[in-house]
Amino acid sequence: MPMKGRFPIRRTLQYLSQGDVIFKSSVKVMTVNYNTAGELSEGARKFVFFNIPQIQYKNPWVQIMLFRNMTPSPFLRFYLDSGEQVLVDVEDKTNKEITEHVKKILGKSKETLEKEERERKKLSHPATFGPKKYHLRECMCEIEGQVPCPAFVPLPKEMRGKYKAAMKNEA
Amino acid sequence: MSVPRGAVHAKWIVGRVIGTKMQKTAKVRVTRLVLDPYLLKFFNKRKTYFAHDPLQQCVVGDIVLLKALPERRSKHVKHELAEIVFKVGNVIDPITGKPCAGTRFLENLSDSENLTEADTTYLSEKLQELKVCSSDK
Repeated sequence: MPMKGRFPIRRTLQYLSQGDVIFKSSVKVMTVNYNTAGELSEGARKFVFFNIPQIQYKNPWVQIMLFRNMTPSPFLRFYLDSGEQVLVDVEDKTNKEITEHVKKILGKSKETLEKEERERKKLSHPATFGPKKYHLRECMCEIEGQVPCPAFVPLPKEMRGKYKAAMKNEA
Repeated sequence: MSVPRGAVHAKWIVGRVIGTKMQKTAKVRVTRLVLDPYLLKFFNKRKTYFAHDPLQQCVVGDIVLLKALPERRSKHVKHELAEIVFKVGNVIDPITGKPCAGTRFLENLSDSENLTEADTTYLSEKLQELKVCSSDK
């Protein structure tokens, strides 16, 4: 039962999360002008078809607008928070070249991403237990080598509170 | 936290003017790509914003860049017109700077400097014929 559509892999979470262009926080709007026919616009068309979903998935707060057949030459335009506009000519480039260029000029660098990752890791302590949303593990019984969960394997007599209380009463 | 600009989340938006019936205000439709959770495909989701346009220079169909105002101007108007990106019917290609329409440039449609002798004689003959016809009537 294959997926529907031309390149349905574009519609998988794994493909979407593989996008590596994460914009700096100053980029607010991205506009792509391209043409539906013509050799020069081929890279832009492939970029819109394959890479735009990845970019929008990674940058949900950036507004992306697509304009078709408005001008003869294809280009990208970014509107930054400072009012600055960045114009990127895309004529005669492959879609890989376009993504590399955009990543170089307006993407967060690897060091920034790693730093943010470390900051996020600092907030949550990995050695605590609790709900899955906030902690890695819920109970000590999940770890190998520890006492297994009594819901699945009954505890030995000596560990049960009933036995311990009986022994104490006896003595 | 400082709130110098934006009683509103969207600081800069690009949209298309859909109405100018209000005085000094443009109704702008903004589309954003939103992921459908089941199909995992992006669809355009529309939202209308009202923008303050003091010179009333927007026409229906312009592509327009809006900037958030520092505080709300009225109940619905929270943005103002920053720049008209593409004027309808008068699109200028930002890379070459020339007017264009669709996928053709408009500037060298009538280049009367580049007409050859044969062209000019042919055209003047045609004009003469037209003059004769009109005097007959």
